[in-house]
Amino acid sequence: MKKPNLLLVTMIFIIGILMIAPIYFLVISSFKQPQDVFSTSVNLSTLTLDNFKAVFETNILHAIWNSFIVSTVVTVVALLFHSMSGYALARLNFPWKKQIFAWMISTLMIPFTIIMIPLYMVTKTLGMSNSYAGLIIPMIFNAYGIFLFRQFYREFPKELEEAAYMEGLSIAGTFFRLVLPLSKSIIVPLTIGFFTFNWNNYLWPLIITQDEDLMVVQVALANIVGGGYETPWSIVLAAALLGAIPTFLLFFFMQKHLVEGIKMTGIK
Amino acid sequence: MKKKGFKQRMTRESLTAYGFLLPNLIGLTVFIFVPMVYAFYVSLHDWNALSPKVFIGFDNYFRLAEDKAWWKSVYRTFIFTIIYVPALYGLSLFFAVAISSLRGKVEGFARTMFLLPYAITSVISAVIWMFLYNPRNGVINQFLELVGLPGQKFLGSTDEALISIIVVILWINLGYNMMIFLAAIKEIPNDYYEAARIDGAKGWQSFLHITFPLIRETSIFILIVTTIGSFQVFDQIMVMTKGGPANSTEVSVLYIYQQAFEFLDMGYASALAVVLFLIIFSLSLVQLKIYSKQD
Repeated sequence: MKKPNLLLVTMIFIIGILMIAPIYFLVISSFKQPQDVFSTSVNLSTLTLDNFKAVFETNILHAIWNSFIVSTVVTVVALLFHSMSGYALARLNFPWKKQIFAWMISTLMIPFTIIMIPLYMVTKTLGMSNSYAGLIIPMIFNAYGIFLFRQFYREFPKELEEAAYMEGLSIAGTFFRLVLPLSKSIIVPLTIGFFTFNWNNYLWPLIITQDEDLMVVQVALANIVGGGYETPWSIVLAAALLGAIPTFLLFFFMQKHLVEGIKMTGIK
Repeated sequence: MKKKGFKQRMTRESLTAYGFLLPNLIGLTVFIFVPMVYAFYVSLHDWNALSPKVFIGFDNYFRLAEDKAWWKSVYRTFIFTIIYVPALYGLSLFFAVAISSLRGKVEGFARTMFLLPYAITSVISAVIWMFLYNPRNGVINQFLELVGLPGQKFLGSTDEALISIIVVILWINLGYNMMIFLAAIKEIPNDYYEAARIDGAKGWQSFLHITFPLIRETSIFILIVTTIGSFQVFDQIMVMTKGGPANSTEVSVLYIYQQAFEFLDMGYASALAVVLFLIIFSLSLVQLKIYSKQD
């Protein structure tokens, strides 16, 4: 490959700065006095934490907690179920294996927005609307994780499992005590993926919950800006910044794994 | 292993396998497969979610065929897709190629700048950009004024609202798609480029004859995924404009959402969802066909 030319590098960084500019304004403006919020200049002496104090007096904090619970539970349970199924499909022999795999994969072709109405009805019929169960359980199931776990276990060294089996461990024992703890390299990117997806989720929580108490952070934020009143921008931005922190932390501490995950999902 | 032991293991293995598959078999059935079938069933009924369903055959489908507002929303969704998909594809490929020529810390830094918006959720991105787009004193209009251009209404204008939203969604997704391209480009052996250089190929030619053909699968993947995604765009629009001003950003999913959860017209909304599914499905089939023909 040829050497990078200076013009190209300059352009990449100018566009790169434009890419992060909105995030800069999110952060800096959330520390500004309400009357300065639109000002592009920064006067350090007028920066304040009042906006965050104001946020703590609203229900945003509770909404962040709800998002946290939902995202965490979905992620943990989905990882458990998806890894088990992926392992069975990659390693075990049983009747109807091909058909079951094909059927599971075919559910990937059904976009969420197409089934949102009947999914709402099914969930309601099961008595789960307006509850954590309704927020959590339907989001656990998708074939994406199953597919990626299956790919991963197909390339997993077989010798270890054979040794464990010789030692008298059952299949389930082998999986839970030996294989699963060694699956970190797929669990980490999928954890980021599942958690981020659920932290992001807006449409499903919007549909399935009406109680203020069950509001997740995305719905709560959307409600403030869509309230029909003059938007109190300094407070809204402070709330948005708080809502962005979990995914930002994941991003910074796990950038390497995030990139791995992108590679994994992008190139099959 | 003895014969008997083997047979015993087979049934034990099958049992374990089914045990491992059971949660997902139930979950995928109840929460994806049943809703899919149920969507079609409900679409044949008149139902407001409260009173009993009334079977009306294909009446909802006849109704949607004549529903101008619905077809306008489909048209807007097409417009959205026709602008968004090529823009996302072109920009993410361009910056992937550009960044792949960088090395070391500079490359890492450039990647991070592009990928950072991806760490922001869809609602928060909408909130930030509503702030930036503020027609009276938003940051972008201040900047436009600075360089002597007239201020814009952005989300408040029927001409600018849709494109303003496209910019936000591009901003969120550019880095992610760029990373997928970048990963594919990095897989291409350097020898190919060296051989091309010896043959006298310039930068653009080696892109056209080496990079582009060798990332074909990634291209198909991105085109299909982004097309399917853009036909489902909802979050930012719901937060930023709710379909306005004057319906100029009312895309199909928003229209379906309103029919279902605002007007409680569940049967009709389900019929719309079935039609949208058929549109998305045939579009991705067409895309697959076009790309597999190029072999």
